[in-house]
Amino acid sequence: MSVQLVLYIATVVGAAALYLLMPKPGKDLRVLGGLLAAGTLGLLWLLLLPLTLRGTGGEAGLLNTGFEDGETLFYYVFSAIGLCAAVRVITHTRPVYSALWFVMVVIASAGLLLTLSAEFMAFAMLIIYGGAILVTYMFVIMLATPPRSEQDPDEGPIYDRFGQEPLWASAAGFLLLAVLLGVMFQPMTPNASAAADDDAAVIRDVLANRSDTGGDAALATPTGRDTPAGAELSNVEQVGLDLFRGHPLAIELAGVILLLALIGAVVIAKTQIFADRDGEAAEPDGQADTVESADTGVSA
Amino acid sequence: MSATLLALSSPMLSHYLMTGAILFALGLIGFVSRRNLIVKFLCTEMMFQGVVVTLGAFSAFHGNFTGQTFVIFVLTVAAAEAALALGLVVLMFRRKQTLDAEAWSVLRG
Repeated sequence: MSVQLVLYIATVVGAAALYLLMPKPGKDLRVLGGLLAAGTLGLLWLLLLPLTLRGTGGEAGLLNTGFEDGETLFYYVFSAIGLCAAVRVITHTRPVYSALWFVMVVIASAGLLLTLSAEFMAFAMLIIYGGAILVTYMFVIMLATPPRSEQDPDEGPIYDRFGQEPLWASAAGFLLLAVLLGVMFQPMTPNASAAADDDAAVIRDVLANRSDTGGDAALATPTGRDTPAGAELSNVEQVGLDLFRGHPLAIELAGVILLLALIGAVVIAKTQIFADRDGEAAEPDGQADTVESADTGVSA
Repeated sequence: MSATLLALSSPMLSHYLMTGAILFALGLIGFVSRRNLIVKFLCTEMMFQGVVVTLGAFSAFHGNFTGQTFVIFVLTVAAAEAALALGLVVLMFRRKQTLDAEAWSVLRG
């Protein structure tokens, strides 16, 4: 069976699994959906076995996750945790729990960055995403939660309990995923002579000018762990050198973006005060809207 | 035998790219299918996560630190987006007392 066929089967099964997991009226088939999702993930990992990719058969049916080797295990653990948590983020009916599962996604992807020996980025992700951004989300969820109804206080509002077109959404998303993975796993036969020309040109023209490798890029190993130019530098030093040597303009632009976001947030907050006062005075229908828009025009 | 299996299952670049692509696709599905505005923006953050994993994987497997540098800019944009989008969400909630995206499906001046 060809790699592409297995890939398409896996994405179709995954779309069905996600549709079953989505909150929707009718029978609860979430257990079946979870099993199908786990099967999809296993099928995709099976697909990635190099032996299967080469199509030589043999022991390809045995999916061993390498429990002897710690580092090998960590990829599978973090990836599985991250993807399960991601599914929970989009299927949970309570926004607070969605945000908490998103913290789990952040932790798992920080772990994946650790296995990629990107320590600084892993901890920056944890601090900025898990700390700052998620706290902002929690505050907004607390501020903007409609009052619960008296008859069933456990149930959230209708727009949280049922998704909008879950079938078509999961079909479209997994179509995108099938295209992405299909391109990724495309069996390619490298043209040796053309590749040699290309590699020579890249090493001569591009890599020699790059900031972080200092002309030794041709010697860089595929894992990037024994790069000769930076063998003695730590990850933070490497990232810092690349950031400040290679992307000074981008740093300035990032500063401008943050400043604009700050000003925009202040403007939005000021607007909110006006809207709140008028919203209190009038009904939240047409009358209040006209008053508010007039007020916004004055403030702007 | 076990060494063969270990070599077979050790993660390569494709493994990380697959994880990143699935995270991105799940975030997209969530953004399209959820109706709560806050959860919608949470799903865009999840798409950022997929991109971050992909950038980190390319950075590590190509021996090039520009990928990790770009994660910093992704974080910058994510922080700016969260600040602005959540401010707008609170503003919209004050107007209509609901977080349903359907409530804002009609545009008028």
